[in-house]
Amino acid sequence: MKTAEKTGVVLAEKKVDQKKMRAKVKRVLLFLSIIAIILLILIPIYLLFKISVSAPQDILTQHPPFLIKNFTWKHWLKILSAGQIWNPLWKSVIVASMVALLGIIIAAPGAYVISRLPKKIKYGVLLAIFSTRMFPEVGIALPISVTFIKWGLLDTNLGLVLAHLIRVLPLMAWVLTGTFDTIPRDLEQSAVVDGCNKIQALVKVVLPLSLAGLAAGAILSWLESWNEFTYAIYLCLADTTLPIKTYYYISRGNWFESAAYAVFLTFPVMIITFVLQNYLKSDYLSGALKY
Amino acid sequence: MGKVLLLTMIKGIKKPKGRMFLMKKAYRLLLGLVILSLLVSCTTMAAPKSLKVIMGLAEEEWNVMREHIFPAFEKEYNVKIEAYQTEAQDTEKILEARAKANRMDIDLISQDNMRLATLVERGLVEDLSEYRSLIPATVIPALVDVGEFGGKLYFLPYRPNIEIAFYNSLKFAQYGLKPPTNWDELFNVARTFKEKEGVARVAIKADLSPCTTVHLFDFCRSAGGDPVVLDDKGCFEAFVFLQKLWPYLSPDSKTANWNFMNRHIATESVYLGQNWPFGMNVIVKDGGKKEVLAYQGWRGPVKESHVLGGDVIGIPKGAPNKALAIEFAKYLMSKEVQEKLATYNGWPAVRSDAYGTVEEWQRPYFDAINEALKYAEARPNLLYWDAVDKALGEAFREGVIEQKPVKPALEKWAKFIRDNKR
Repeated sequence: MKTAEKTGVVLAEKKVDQKKMRAKVKRVLLFLSIIAIILLILIPIYLLFKISVSAPQDILTQHPPFLIKNFTWKHWLKILSAGQIWNPLWKSVIVASMVALLGIIIAAPGAYVISRLPKKIKYGVLLAIFSTRMFPEVGIALPISVTFIKWGLLDTNLGLVLAHLIRVLPLMAWVLTGTFDTIPRDLEQSAVVDGCNKIQALVKVVLPLSLAGLAAGAILSWLESWNEFTYAIYLCLADTTLPIKTYYYISRGNWFESAAYAVFLTFPVMIITFVLQNYLKSDYLSGALKY
Repeated sequence: MGKVLLLTMIKGIKKPKGRMFLMKKAYRLLLGLVILSLLVSCTTMAAPKSLKVIMGLAEEEWNVMREHIFPAFEKEYNVKIEAYQTEAQDTEKILEARAKANRMDIDLISQDNMRLATLVERGLVEDLSEYRSLIPATVIPALVDVGEFGGKLYFLPYRPNIEIAFYNSLKFAQYGLKPPTNWDELFNVARTFKEKEGVARVAIKADLSPCTTVHLFDFCRSAGGDPVVLDDKGCFEAFVFLQKLWPYLSPDSKTANWNFMNRHIATESVYLGQNWPFGMNVIVKDGGKKEVLAYQGWRGPVKESHVLGGDVIGIPKGAPNKALAIEFAKYLMSKEVQEKLATYNGWPAVRSDAYGTVEEWQRPYFDAINEALKYAEARPNLLYWDAVDKALGEAFREGVIEQKPVKPALEKWAKFIRDNKR
């Protein structure tokens, strides 16, 4: 009996050990895959940065080294001293920020209403809104730009903001509808029971809880606008955006300055992502309701 | 007061002096001032304050324009030149949007001569036939031809460009080779590099983009063929040669275009390849590869031929300041400007009587350009250019890359060109 018991215990222990082992292996694999994904994302950025601060002899060789050998700020100084970077940077920042802000102001109320519609109607409306993104941009950019030029919006921030909103609004509506869906109606009703009117319930309860979604939407629309190219070609000539400037350097075939521009292009993206990521927390709604 | 005026008019009696007289004087003064201000404003309207120009230039080239070219014209015509950067492929979009909105605000464009057909086909540029006499007699004739469509002149010559052959002189010296001057030598050089290094080191632009078309034009024409016909004897000979050469060409050929050819040469994965002269700035000036030299390239069994590239001047339809734009075009073609452009930008001059002194390091490349220009041939101006481009690329894929029989491939794609003729 004792031997059988002992065997049973040993088997059980073995099973536990195996489970622990499996869990450990899983964790290591997860960790490794996270590292692999991070490297996949970071290596191209590193290579761009490396080219932008390397002496030509390090890059223009059959076997360029992976690490930076002869460091130089020469290419950076060249693009910064040319004085061509600041106006496009400023324009891109202004336009992208206005697009993100206006996008939220316009899309959030619409998305809230859509999220409170009956399911069948809701998805129909969402699909209808999202279908506007099905048209290839190159196909619609010309007629839209022609209209904007007729309205005198050439080389203005407003023209570009409006053009970018065409792309951004459906995306924002989609993201924000999903966000409002996750906020239980009971919370609003509880707020009303506690003495809030509907607007107060929206402002004081729903809006703070939807900050994560709003931040995600803002980042997405900011990035969409920041990287946008087609409308900028049509609508900006005297006053261009940073992606157009970068494209200009790439078109001229200068690798080092192109790399410096491309790296420069990522700085504001990093800043805006770091600022807004504070709002991207998944546990906003945990414990919101007690049944 | 009215009574006095009436009396004055009817009876013609002596003008009464006093308040009435002063008022009349004031009216006349006012009228004079109005007429004067109208005249002034009309004169102001007649002389534009700015001339809007779009060009595709590198930053250094813009500096030359702003420091050495624009100021003299601005001073002479009391006008400000507003010049903006656009790439050739975007010029069509920019003009089309403005033309459709009926808000053309651009007065002059300089455009790559390989991207003119669309501008003409869509009616985006003015017919400049009446200004033909403005073209100096010393201008390279082929560059005038590229601006003509259907017997009308739409573009004025401004800047010639031509591909030259860049080669790594150290690698050539290492194996005792000389830059090839004909097809046989080209084949021998390609084979020698492959045998010595185990990897092919000669490249042509074979990414099947319009860059490939330029090289195929050179090969076909130098064998006496017409690439627009494609199934003639010369093209057949050229494609057979390319089929034979292909195994000895660098694998980088498949990615080589105007941009990557520079990279392949600069990173020493290719020792010989043809590209546009701006490569000297990228490879030699910025990249520091002083061992990369250049010469005009090779001839074929019949002749030497190089596609004439470069920029031409056009006036957008509905340009607000057409007369002044024509003056500016004339100025850009002038001997004075062409000499400055040669000196400061290292551009070959559009006219044979303009000589510039280029920087010392640019001299061998500049000489190669001028030598190649002697054998320059413009591409025909065809509205069905897209079909020719596609046919040449596909014939190259089948006959050269896939090593299929050349004749059927050429016949198939020659028919495609004929079917798409407009």
